[in-house]
Amino acid sequence: MTPQLSEILAQVVERPPNILKALLALQERLGHVPTEAVSDIAHALGVPAAQVAGVLSYYPDLRLTGSGRHLIRVCMGESCYANGCGRLLRELQDRLRVDVGETAAGGKFTLDTMSCAGNCAVSPTVTIDRDLYGRLLPSQLDTLLERYK
Amino acid sequence: MSTATRLYLSNDTSSRAAGAGVLADAWSEHPEVQLIRVSSRGAFFLEPMVERESPAGRVAWFNVTAQDLPRILSGTDGTPVRSIPFLVQQTRFTFANFGETEPLALDEYQARGGLSGLETALRIGPEAIIEELRVSQLRGRGGAAFPVWNKWKVAQQARADRKYVVANADEGDAGTYCDRMILEGDPFRLLEGMLICARAIGAGQGYVYCRQEYPAAAKTLRAAIQKADEAELLELDGEPFPIEVVEGAGSYVCGEETALLESLEGKRGVVRARPPYPAQSGLYGRPTIVSNVLTFATIPNILSRGGAWHAALGTEQSRGTMALQLGGRVKHPGLVEVPFGLSLHQILEQFGGGMAPGSRFKAVQVGGPLGSLFPASQMDIPICYDAFAKAGAVLGHGGIVVYDHETDMVDLARHFMAFTADESCGKCTPCRIGSVRGREILERIQAGSGTIEDLALLHDLGDTMKIASLCALGGRASYPVLTAIEHFPAEFRAKLRV
Ligand SMILES: Cc1cc2nc3c(=O)[nH]c(=O)nc-3n(C[C@H](O)[C@H](O)[C@H](O)COP(=O)(O)O)c2cc1C
Ligand code: SF4
Ligand code: FES
Repeated sequence: MTPQLSEILAQVVERPPNILKALLALQERLGHVPTEAVSDIAHALGVPAAQVAGVLSYYPDLRLTGSGRHLIRVCMGESCYANGCGRLLRELQDRLRVDVGETAAGGKFTLDTMSCAGNCAVSPTVTIDRDLYGRLLPSQLDTLLERYK
Repeated sequence: MSTATRLYLSNDTSSRAAGAGVLADAWSEHPEVQLIRVSSRGAFFLEPMVERESPAGRVAWFNVTAQDLPRILSGTDGTPVRSIPFLVQQTRFTFANFGETEPLALDEYQARGGLSGLETALRIGPEAIIEELRVSQLRGRGGAAFPVWNKWKVAQQARADRKYVVANADEGDAGTYCDRMILEGDPFRLLEGMLICARAIGAGQGYVYCRQEYPAAAKTLRAAIQKADEAELLELDGEPFPIEVVEGAGSYVCGEETALLESLEGKRGVVRARPPYPAQSGLYGRPTIVSNVLTFATIPNILSRGGAWHAALGTEQSRGTMALQLGGRVKHPGLVEVPFGLSLHQILEQFGGGMAPGSRFKAVQVGGPLGSLFPASQMDIPICYDAFAKAGAVLGHGGIVVYDHETDMVDLARHFMAFTADESCGKCTPCRIGSVRGREILERIQAGSGTIEDLALLHDLGDTMKIASLCALGGRASYPVLTAIEHFPAEFRAKLRV
């Protein structure tokens, strides 16, 4: 175990052990959950490694690999669907030359989807990191992406 | 400071997305402006909306840009909030504070009647609280529409060393946002509802399971909990009643109450077989009330005004008001709180204002991904649990999404099945395998190589999933697909290989 990992684990372990919380806290600090760390996490929490691996593979938001510097998520919920999120997604795929889940060359952007941001009345919705954009048109994407370095 | 004009601007996530954030940045340092960041009235089509006081109440400016400031400061062309049809035609009880108050101002919450439901609850005690709820005929607003008092009674009567109250803030149905608005806009109302529940069943700890997609909601709620704690509100019978916010990790099925409890325990969010129900054996095997955010937020008014007041609103089987959330290609998307019983047509015309410019109506989806599609010929259906049940549909969490003439129904059906296949928790075969097969069939039809047998297969698959699934995800996933085929058969047939 690296000293960094053991330090983080010491902070995220609680009683009773909560695997999901520990993994989310780890991801918050490292950007993803390295698969190699599963046995160390299991050891620190006092649970079987298979259980940790099971939780890790179950939740869509737990990432096994690092993402680009910025994470773009296109909402695919029904209100966004009705308002043309499909076009936005295709446009982003073309511009960034990536598929959903992939990181663009240069490591600047990772493209992903989400299922509803609760912004349905101001849809279609795209989030970039912690920022949320609504009523977005494909023609606005260029200026939007330029804001992120 | 004395010369600055107080301007009210919503800080809700959707208001910011509509442009309120840009206005706040532009005006925050302006010497003539004192910005008050309030909750949103929910008339999102008018946002960003800026208001100021006048002798006749608040006056509003719509779809404001930073250049509108002189107009607003001189008071020209404003519209009295009391004359906005979208708002005045509503019956606001749960959402009465929206647009008026600052979300984290506990004194404002109290000044407008907040905490009086809790006061009543503390005074009358557990049995009488549950009696008020029985009289109110309140049914859960999260989707299953189960009578609230019944669940609370079970938890109250259960003997255990610990009991829990859990607010379901997973709000997974796409097209719904009223829970988010409550969390961000009137968080003390949720906390008050949870405290009343804790008092009724004798719980010692509360949790709010908040979807990961709602960072602002979680942040506001945590701040509200801290304020409530400082005001010594998180205490019952001299014992602490701490409330913790726990964030999810992107799984739709974690909104199902037993999967939610698994996830709260840090495990895979897989559905548990019921019985036992959470009210008997829930979090860590203890009696637990899991209720939706809107349900909890409805309860303070029931305690302060009485169960009979609530029962007098709505229809026979659906008492009270419902928060409907309009989205999609409707002209006026936003939050509509009205008593149950108005027709879908009335909601879409009177409040929705018809279709967005350039759009022609095709279908409307009510009840999220487990709901049904309604064509133009079925717009007379009243918004209430009974009528929807009779039509084989569900109101769900009150999401209403309108699709226009450009919508490809085959692709939409594929979209639904793909969602189920992605989100199935895998516990039971009909849902796990059925949804993947369903998606494959619809992909085949979309690609032009489907046959008439494929449509029959989708029906069979749907029937099996309906009957044999453990939870409503598998049980209802075929509804949007099958109603799409039922109402738009020509679109499906046109894509079949002949
Ligand atoms: C697949 C699935 C997803 C659900 N998602 C939610 C949700 O996001 N929010 C919610 O309150 N209830 C959701 N429910 C309903 C809950 O299981 C439960 O009935 C509800 O939280 C109880 O609260 P209520 O009585 O206030 O409605 C879901 C149910 C299913 C089957
Ligand atoms: S119906 Fe689907 S989501 Fe529900 S328990 Fe079965 S596999 Fe899980
Ligand atoms: S459907 Fe996209 S924000 Fe709700």
